[in-house]
Amino acid sequence: MVKITIDDKTIEVENGTTVLNAARQLGVDIPTLCDHPELTPYGGCRLCLVEVEGARTLQPSCTLPASDGMVVRTNTEKIHEARKFVLSMIFSERNHFCPYCQVSGGDCELQNAAYDEDMTHWPIQPNWQPYPVDASHPFIILEHNRCILCRRCVRACGELVGNFTLGFEERGADSTLVADLGLPLGESSCVSCGTCLQVCPTGSLIDRWSAYQGKETDVETTKTICMGCSIGCGINVLTRDNRLVRIEGNWDDEISQGLLCEIGRFHPMVEERERILTPMVKSDGKLKAATWDDALKAATEMVSSSKGDLSGVASTRVSLEALADFKNLCDAFDAKVILTTEDCQAVSSIFKQASKDNAPFEGKIEDLLDADCYLTLGEDITKDHQVLSFFAKRRIPEGAKLIQIAEKETGFDNFATTSLHVKEKSLADFLLDLRKLVEIKAETVKKVAEKYSIEDEQLQETVNSLLSSEKIVVLFGSRKDFNDSEALVKATKAFSSAINAIMLSTKGNINSVGAAALGFSSTEAVKSNLILMLLGDEELSQCTAQKFEKAGKRIVFSSYVSQLTAGADIIFPVSNWLEQNGHIINIDGHILEQRSALEAPQGVYSNEEAVNMLKNALNVKGKVVWDQEIKQFSSPVKIA
Amino acid sequence: MAKPTVASDWLGGCAGCHMSFLDIDERIVKLVELVDLRATPITDLKEPDEKGVTVGILEGGITNTYNEEVAKRMRDRCQILVALGDCAVFGGVPAMRNFFTLNDALTRAYVDTPSTDESGKIPSNPELAKMTVVRPVHEIVPVDVFIPGCPPDADIIFYALTELAQGRIPKLENNNLMWN
Repeated sequence: MVKITIDDKTIEVENGTTVLNAARQLGVDIPTLCDHPELTPYGGCRLCLVEVEGARTLQPSCTLPASDGMVVRTNTEKIHEARKFVLSMIFSERNHFCPYCQVSGGDCELQNAAYDEDMTHWPIQPNWQPYPVDASHPFIILEHNRCILCRRCVRACGELVGNFTLGFEERGADSTLVADLGLPLGESSCVSCGTCLQVCPTGSLIDRWSAYQGKETDVETTKTICMGCSIGCGINVLTRDNRLVRIEGNWDDEISQGLLCEIGRFHPMVEERERILTPMVKSDGKLKAATWDDALKAATEMVSSSKGDLSGVASTRVSLEALADFKNLCDAFDAKVILTTEDCQAVSSIFKQASKDNAPFEGKIEDLLDADCYLTLGEDITKDHQVLSFFAKRRIPEGAKLIQIAEKETGFDNFATTSLHVKEKSLADFLLDLRKLVEIKAETVKKVAEKYSIEDEQLQETVNSLLSSEKIVVLFGSRKDFNDSEALVKATKAFSSAINAIMLSTKGNINSVGAAALGFSSTEAVKSNLILMLLGDEELSQCTAQKFEKAGKRIVFSSYVSQLTAGADIIFPVSNWLEQNGHIINIDGHILEQRSALEAPQGVYSNEEAVNMLKNALNVKGKVVWDQEIKQFSSPVKIA
Repeated sequence: MAKPTVASDWLGGCAGCHMSFLDIDERIVKLVELVDLRATPITDLKEPDEKGVTVGILEGGITNTYNEEVAKRMRDRCQILVALGDCAVFGGVPAMRNFFTLNDALTRAYVDTPSTDESGKIPSNPELAKMTVVRPVHEIVPVDVFIPGCPPDADIIFYALTELAQGRIPKLENNNLMWN
């Protein structure tokens, strides 16, 4: 611990704490631009200069470690002059004319810094050098004229996301932000996670979809979770007048720590499916708009006359509350099967294994944060569960090993320490042999490599990595069809425990674990006379949707028009994920709360409300209490 | 004591700052109680009195040799010079042409615009002022008060003028400091 005095206030801080962070702990405000709490200090902009007693010159507080007895001043005439000078230099470098910039008026850290120093004009004139604008990316515009060269985006791309797309070329005034050695951003290795947008202090990185839609002071912010995949990343949803403006990662979220992927940040902005706004009932072979009362009446007749020949199918993108009510409704009419829309055998194999074991066998997402070896199997998590891939990729520069076992190319190809292209049908056998190599060294690397037609050098390095690592995480991508997924899950589990690794599977949709806990089985073709479908806002693949088209009649709760609503007999419009409250259980057993950020269109109810309306119309009593049900469930991962 | 006198003029701008000044609405009555409003582009008297005024206000940036003359004349004839609006303070929208060559900007304006027919040509009358690099007023003459904004809010203009009318130099800070 060291004692430091800043502006006459003294505090004791840990060794290595920067003067800037010590000042923050004391509540002393030091302006910054290149510094960002989530990123390594860089010391580039010089706005955070402070006076240190005994030092010859002003010192940047963001990179200066506090030392014992240090006396610092942050509020002297000399410092304000220095700040104004630093800001004048930055303003003179490129085109910083405020009136046409989307972040002007509160959202620009550069403008705010100038206001804080009461700057009314620029003492130094700009040099009028035009820079290019890169608008090649579908979501991000790179406006080099507004760049202050702070490198926050570069650090975020490398340190947080591990993608290393962004970098700098040239020196001095010619310094330019570049993607991959100078490619247009849209053609580069960028994975469109948008973290760079979120850290840019000026209007240099422009979010195409939210620019000029409202400043941060004009919008409402709702803290909720992303429903894009099973991770459940924490997000801030920015809305204005019941319109979606932007989605940002929540830095305080313990699961995702502020990171998001393209699916979470941008896809909701470009939702193009047609919304269903009124209940529909089929008459004379055609779907016609109806009132809720008429539609409920028609549905009541249909369900009552089904005489037990009905099935229930629900999306795993809807909340535990809605699923519980839906199950209750299906149970009351002795539904033959109650299924989810999840079409991956591997997901159900995970749950089957858990119910056999009757004990959790998987680790937590937080295990990824400090592991030193990652082994990926199955699906390409750089596409489907991107944030997990960021956690692994960003550890590589620190020496972590990334072993990928995949039949085909994946997004990890440029990052993996070793890539083993093993045929999927022999994956389970291969894991057994790999385990032998690591555990008892019974087989020779050469023999195994030959058996699976892989390079023996790669295999040897894989074995070495596994033997030398302290914390290994086996990431099992379960959103993929394997020949015999049960055998593979068993083999992966056995392999993980034999080499003392932590296993984590990606499971299905956001509420995959929740649906399994409530007793929903995985999907199959349905042939009953009547099928009740709680689709929510899920978009099913054509081949999954076909499984439900053979049923006699169909009552569908859905937000959007789809193949399944087209042939339905009765449709109830329901709200989408941004418009409802509820709980879900994510990939690693966290019970997360979803909060509504938007109001649903008039006459559209949440999944839970809509199911309850039908329940009441059918006089179904009782309730499935989800938090009780999940206590009885043998989960693959500890639920808390 | 005589009321302080105020004169204004516009240079390379859009007149929007003067419009924003008029947006002080009925408060203009209060203002003329405090000051003697002399030459402005929207009054009959166009040039500031030769014997001088207390406060001179300039809207717009310096875009040509004529603007330079007007700015210098105002500086000579006033005690306190105010740069009003982003163009006068920073160069503003007209300064965007500095990122191109003068010839490119003129060709764009007089020849290449879709509404221009073949007869379009860059004006070359020798009596026209010579265009220059666009600069803020303080690059030509010393400025005493900067009021940024595109345009500055009427409330900010009213605040600044009433301060000046009462013999104080306005300090623009917090909500009164706006560059956009």
